[in-house]
Amino acid sequence: MFHNRAEALALALPAAVFAAVVFLAPVVILLAEGFRNADGWSVSAYTGFLSDPLNRTVFLRTLRLGATVTVVAAVIGYAAAFAIVNLPPKGKGRMIGLVVLPLMISPVARTYAWIVILGRTGIVNQALTSVGLTDEPVRFLFTETAVFVGLLQLFLPLMILALISALENMPKDAIPAARVLGANWFQVFWKVILPLTREGLVIGGTLVFTGSLTAYITPAILGGSKVLMLETLLYQRVTVANDFISASVIALILIVMSFAANLLLKRLATARSKR
Amino acid sequence: MNSRLFPVTVLVLVTAFLIGPFFIIVAASLSGGETLAFPPQGLSLKWVAKVFEVESFRESFAMSMLLAIGGTATALTLGIPASYALSRYRLPFGETVRTVVALPIIVPGIIVGLALLRYLVVPFGFNITLALFLAHTALVLPYAVRVVSASLNNLRSDIEEAAVLLGSSRAGAFFRVVMPNIRSGILAAFILGFVTSFNQVPVSLFLSGPGVRTLPIDMLSYMEITYDPSVAALSALLAFMSIGIVFLAERFLGFSRYV
Amino acid sequence: MSDPAFLSLEKLTLAYGDTVAVKDLDLSIRKGELVAFLGPSGCGKTTTMRSIAGLLKPQSGRISLDGADITRVAANRRSVGLVFQSYALFPHLTVFENVAFGLRLKGLSGAELESRVGAGLKSVGLTSFADRKPAELSGGQQQRVALARSMVMEPKVLLLDEPLSNLDARLRLEMRTELQRVQRETGVTMIFVTHDQGEALSLADRIVVMLNGAIEQIGTPEEIYNRPASAFVADFVGFENIFAVENGKLRAGNGPIELPGPLPDSAAGLAWRPRMVTLGSGPFQGTVRGASFSGSTREYLLDTPLGALKAEVDAAVPAHAAGTTLAFDLPVEKAAKLERFN
Repeated sequence: MFHNRAEALALALPAAVFAAVVFLAPVVILLAEGFRNADGWSVSAYTGFLSDPLNRTVFLRTLRLGATVTVVAAVIGYAAAFAIVNLPPKGKGRMIGLVVLPLMISPVARTYAWIVILGRTGIVNQALTSVGLTDEPVRFLFTETAVFVGLLQLFLPLMILALISALENMPKDAIPAARVLGANWFQVFWKVILPLTREGLVIGGTLVFTGSLTAYITPAILGGSKVLMLETLLYQRVTVANDFISASVIALILIVMSFAANLLLKRLATARSKR
Repeated sequence: MNSRLFPVTVLVLVTAFLIGPFFIIVAASLSGGETLAFPPQGLSLKWVAKVFEVESFRESFAMSMLLAIGGTATALTLGIPASYALSRYRLPFGETVRTVVALPIIVPGIIVGLALLRYLVVPFGFNITLALFLAHTALVLPYAVRVVSASLNNLRSDIEEAAVLLGSSRAGAFFRVVMPNIRSGILAAFILGFVTSFNQVPVSLFLSGPGVRTLPIDMLSYMEITYDPSVAALSALLAFMSIGIVFLAERFLGFSRYV
Repeated sequence: MSDPAFLSLEKLTLAYGDTVAVKDLDLSIRKGELVAFLGPSGCGKTTTMRSIAGLLKPQSGRISLDGADITRVAANRRSVGLVFQSYALFPHLTVFENVAFGLRLKGLSGAELESRVGAGLKSVGLTSFADRKPAELSGGQQQRVALARSMVMEPKVLLLDEPLSNLDARLRLEMRTELQRVQRETGVTMIFVTHDQGEALSLADRIVVMLNGAIEQIGTPEEIYNRPASAFVADFVGFENIFAVENGKLRAGNGPIELPGPLPDSAAGLAWRPRMVTLGSGPFQGTVRGASFSGSTREYLLDTPLGALKAEVDAAVPAHAAGTTLAFDLPVEKAAKLERFN
């Protein structure tokens, strides 16, 4: 540990100043704009925004999608992470590689694939028609289901990776110890695995939830204007109506939701592991 | 519970869900037909060839490469000294610095883009390319600091003290002793930053003008006009590029531990 | 064996993937016995123990306990306790909740739970630590919690994986006494795994020596210590001079060597502890290469026609310098007769 203050500041300040000027200041000004109207400071933009039923629908949909994607990702994530952790070292490395890989592929490309899969003449509809389940192609694109699937595919790897590292940090033999003491697999999960991996679940959950809230590409491609989420709504408000006030309101809502989710998950984690 | 069947089933399904769509894109892009379909109608490389003929794709690809390489390099230039200060010095307001630098990861990108458009580009007549460059740099900065800090924290700090005692200057100690040891961390940060910037959409959404567009944005607007398989072909090409980068990075750096 | 087997393993074969860890193992253990599985790492002792606990499914073979076939019974439905080498205490639970873990799963609660857990903690002397978390305890205390956690379940068999290896010398002695006391008071059948012959000899009623996934020898501590059946066991319990017997002669580096006395026909090999070697008289000659002093005794390393040899004598005898040539004898009547030479 070095103690030279001037040196330390000289090293750290450029990055901090850059982030503050290029990023923090404009964002803060943008957020502040949402609290102004012709008469000065006011929350009228917020009350106005939330009194519009369309906006409320979009807000609730965003929340709902974020929550369901997070929960489903957690369920699948535990199963997948548990299976991966128990693989022999070589297989484990390869599986982790396969999980990381999609994160590196452009989300536009990944989301685009779902058009091929879920479209009117997509694979799913072809299969349904050939089995005779439907005569007419089922509409998947531009539904909430399509957005859900797209988001899940986009963010599941983050949950799996977080849970893998949590499971690997569990004390050795905790699971067999619980088994020998009479716990069935369900009890092993609730009483041992879940409490001991809660931190990883919080990290993964926060990443998936905030990722889903603030995703733009997936709702834009798979939801279109029928299934707006807050981020696509923001874009629409700005480009269609030049409505920067709504944009500022949505921006703050998104930021607050991200922080709130993080705090809530953290709180849940500590509250339950205290006893 | 069958001890083998369950995990194997889970892994097969999850892999299919995560990787499967990629194969479908590749197949769709090899279609000989005029519209997007799977299975492809006949095999042909015409859509792959078309990707290279579309002029806007070429321009936006160049723009995205410029932003990804330049932005990440700038972010590392700012981020490495900051990480070093955060890990080796008792820095006044260290926590504040850490938070400010990490903020761009927390705040939705679309807001950053909009804020830059409104308060830099519009009032000051800022060049859009420059604004994009600043935005991408800010976006990559948190990753740069996180990965480089992790490498620095894994490196014993007494080696610098040893170097100084052996007569090296503080800066000399950094370049001769610290840098060689965190090289793979810096490389990993560069790759992560490059990929993040290259694939980024929300930040760039509002920052586009005539002839100035990143590749993902260009793809999105191309899709609004036509559903022909060229976007599939381009997606497949980009995915192959990413896979190549990740494969090499994993091979030489053990990349997945930095993600 | 007069008593009927309480726990028996028949033709047990265990494997991890394609690697066979234990092959065709047969073993029966009586009720109330304290048995040690002794062997080097990788010999299959821990694997065998985990299969008794139900944590590893056998490829083939049968495990029965108290008259019932438990081969296919899941780990959570066997009355088998296991104290892990790492103790495997649940870090998110207090000492009390750790001990209560299995009892709660059995549906116990309220006063009965309190009293059973209380009795368990009392028996290991940790009553006042009930509200602590495992991380706040010393290694020895953690192990006692793990012991109590298993014992309150009143298992038919208690398994212990290297119970003394993580403790310092003083605690090791304490724990040894503790285990013997628990066994005496509860009469529980105990099996512990160890790589330390001293531990096995001092604690067990019977020792099962294992090598490469098979049993090398079963016997009381005296039998194992004095009459090792094979070169491996002899080496493991401190016979340092071990020779194969071929055609009535000892096999040595420079050709066979004849011993003065008649050799027992049945022996595949002979082994002497360093202190069984007579130094100063006898038919053989050796050159002192080095010596080490250990308080009451002095051990010599000799170059002999048989190869390197270790001899131990009373430290009161004046020391011989390196390079000195000494006469020595390997008395056949003192040697351990090995049935197998491996």
